[in-house]
Amino acid sequence: MHSPSPDARHATPKAGPIIRVVNLHKSFGPLEVLCGISFDVQAGSVFTLIGASGSGKSTLLRCLNLLEQPTSGEVYLDGKPMGFRIEADGRRLPDTAANISRMRSELGMVFQQFNLWPHMTALENVIEAPLRVKRFTRKEAVETGRHFLGKVNLLDKANEYPARLSGGQQQRVAIARALAMQPKVMLFDEATSALDPELTGEVLEVMRALAKEGTTMLVVTHEMGFAREVSDRVIFLHNGQIEEDGPPGVVFSAPKSERCRQFLSKVLH
Amino acid sequence: MWDRLRESLDLTLFWEYRAILLRGLLQNIYIFLAGAVLATVLAFVIGVARLNKHGTVRLFSTGYAELFRNTPEYVFLVWVYFVLPVIFSRLLATKVSFSPYVASVLALGISYSGFLSETVRAGILAVPRTHIEAAMALGMSRWMIMRRIIVPQAIRRMLPESLNQYVSLFKATSLVSLIAVEDLMYQVSMITVHEMRPLPLYTGAALLYCGIIIAAAQGIQLLSERWRQRGWA
Repeated sequence: MHSPSPDARHATPKAGPIIRVVNLHKSFGPLEVLCGISFDVQAGSVFTLIGASGSGKSTLLRCLNLLEQPTSGEVYLDGKPMGFRIEADGRRLPDTAANISRMRSELGMVFQQFNLWPHMTALENVIEAPLRVKRFTRKEAVETGRHFLGKVNLLDKANEYPARLSGGQQQRVAIARALAMQPKVMLFDEATSALDPELTGEVLEVMRALAKEGTTMLVVTHEMGFAREVSDRVIFLHNGQIEEDGPPGVVFSAPKSERCRQFLSKVLH
Repeated sequence: MWDRLRESLDLTLFWEYRAILLRGLLQNIYIFLAGAVLATVLAFVIGVARLNKHGTVRLFSTGYAELFRNTPEYVFLVWVYFVLPVIFSRLLATKVSFSPYVASVLALGISYSGFLSETVRAGILAVPRTHIEAAMALGMSRWMIMRRIIVPQAIRRMLPESLNQYVSLFKATSLVSLIAVEDLMYQVSMITVHEMRPLPLYTGAALLYCGIIIAAAQGIQLLSERWRQRGWA
C-alpha cells in the first residue's frame, strides 16, 4: 500500500475538482456532437460516462486531452486551463504546442484499439514517454516501466512485441504505458469494447484494482455491471447532452429520465 | 555461327582484364552509394513536405517529385553535366563546372529522390493515425512522434518498395560512362578498342551487374525477414 514514489500521487487530496468542464461544445461540420456539457470530477473518484453509440461519450473524452479541439467551452485540469491561456488583458489565446503536450502528459489515455506501437516491445512501449517526455534516465524509466508492467501482471511479457500478445494483454500493456507517466487522471475510452468476452475480465480486473487504490478515473464503457460496481458517479449522455447524472445506485435503479430508463432496459436485458 | 556464340559466352577475356574492370565497377559502387545517400535524404525531406499542411509546400514538393520522376535519367544526367554549370556560372558570375563524378551523383541522386519520395510518403501514410494519437496523448512532441513512432514504422513498411528503387539506381549507374566517368562500361569500351572483341566483355558486364543485384537483394530480404520474425507486420 505504502510503496514509495510511483503511487505517491494519491497521497495528497487537493481542494477543488481535478477536472472541470464548462459548457463544452463540439461540432463536426454541421453536426453538433456535444451541446454544452459541464461537470466536475473530484480527485480520487471514478466517473463513468454511459450512453448509446453516437451520443458523444468518446468525443467528450477526446476533447479533454485535446485529441479533438472543442468548438467552444473550457476544460480545466487541476485548475489550469487546457489548450488556452488568458492574457493579462483578459484575451483568450491558444496555448503553445509545448504546453499542450505537457498538459496532455498529465492525463493518461487508454484507447479502444490499444494502439501499442508495433515496433517496440511491451517494456519499450511503456518506457518511451517517461524517457522522452519526462526525461527519466534509462535506469529510472526501466524501473518505472517494470513497476507498472508488474501492476498489470505482465512482467513476464516485458520483452515481447505487441503482435505476440493477446488483445487483453495488449490492453494491459497500454494501461501500464499510460500509468507510467503517473498522470493525475486516467481516461478509459471503451477499453474493453474491442476484446473477446473472455478477455474483458482481465482488463476490468486491472481497472477495478486501480479504482480501489484511489486513482482518479474517467471511464467510457458499455460494461454496465462494472460501471455500477466501481463508479462514484455516472453520467448518461444523449445526443450530446447530459440526460442523467448521479451516483450509480440512483442512475441504474431509479433514473429520472425516460431515455436513460429505455437505454438501460435495452443494455441490461 | 557457333564459334561466334561460343566466343560471346567465353569469359576468359573478361577474367584477364579483371583488375581494370574491378576498378571500373568500384566507380559504379561509389556513385551508387553517394547517390543513394543523397536520394534518401532528399526523399525524406520531399516525402514529409508532401504531407505538409501548407498548400504551397505541398505544391512545390509534389512538383519536384513529378519533375524528376518523369525525366529520363540519361537526359537529366547530360543536362546536369552540361547545362546546370552554365546556369550556376551565370547566377554566381564565376565559372562553374562539375566533374563527371559530381554530376553523376547529383543527377542520379536527385532523379531517384523523386521516386523514393513517393515511397516515403506512402510509408508515412500507412502508419495508423491511432498510433500517433497514442503518442500525442502521452505528451510527445510532433518531432518526437515523427522520429520515434512514424519514421521507424514507415521505414519497415517502405523496405520492399525502396529496395526496387535502389536496384534501379544501381542499374542506372551504368549510364555514367556516357559522360566519361571511368566506370565498368567505360572500361569495357576501352578494352574493346584494344582487343576488338566486345561480345565476351558485354556478356561479362551483364552477368556481373545481375549477380551483384541478386546478391544484394538476397541480403536485404534476409534482413527484412528478421524484422518480420521479431513479431510485427
